[in-house]
Amino acid sequence: MPRAAAPPQSTWIALADPTRRSILERLSRGEARVTELARPYSMSLNAVSKHIRVLERARLIRRRRAGRDHFLSFNPDPLTGAAAWIAAQRSLWMSRLDALDALLQAEDAATARAAKRKDKSR
Amino acid sequence: MNAPPQKAIVQVTRRFSATAERVFDAWLDPNTAGKWLFATPTGRMSKVEIDARVGGSYLIVENRDGADVEHIGKYLEIDRPRRLVFTLKVPKYSQEITTVTIEIRALDSGCELTLTHEGVLPDYVASTTSGWKMILDQFAATL
Repeated sequence: MPRAAAPPQSTWIALADPTRRSILERLSRGEARVTELARPYSMSLNAVSKHIRVLERARLIRRRRAGRDHFLSFNPDPLTGAAAWIAAQRSLWMSRLDALDALLQAEDAATARAAKRKDKSR
Repeated sequence: MNAPPQKAIVQVTRRFSATAERVFDAWLDPNTAGKWLFATPTGRMSKVEIDARVGGSYLIVENRDGADVEHIGKYLEIDRPRRLVFTLKVPKYSQEITTVTIEIRALDSGCELTLTHEGVLPDYVASTTSGWKMILDQFAATL
């Protein structure tokens, strides 16, 4: 059975943290400067910068320099791999559970037929 | 930054018209399990060995296109008909040992099964103790 490749570990590391997920959510609405991104959080700019570096390593955000300003933007591409992997696993289990349901229903149908035959033969 | 995450979780939920007991037993009864669990439409089931007790092992082998595909694991929890936890390894595809948890809730008619498959992602096998869990739906909802 073909299997979708697991996403790189950096994607999972990046997504594990709620602050990083919320940074991504903010960037999915448009690019922003580091200082703008840091504003809503009760943590140092340095701490936010660390989160940003993790996201950059995972290629989930891109950095654009314009003079002294650094603009960050969201790159959803790595998520496509993660989503594909999860979707493949999900559909594999779904098809197994479908097979189980079909099997149990076939058993029920067979039992019902047997009961009917028994009734008739009385 | 602290210890990295190492687990990805896949969760599916499905309703059955059969009772919780029948759905539960279908995982552990070799005659039933061999007909659907790890079975593929074109494969041929060649071995189903199930030692259905906590600490017991199973081996389910299906022949696919001439090659044996082994599914092996151990039962960690057996609480009929509510909960079943077992490990799963498919050496043909990966040396990774994953955990499958089945939870079954009886309904007025039939039951609802929730399956959680917890996979240790490659490269993380060495540091599996510290852990966070990412529930697929949370992930999807946040992004």
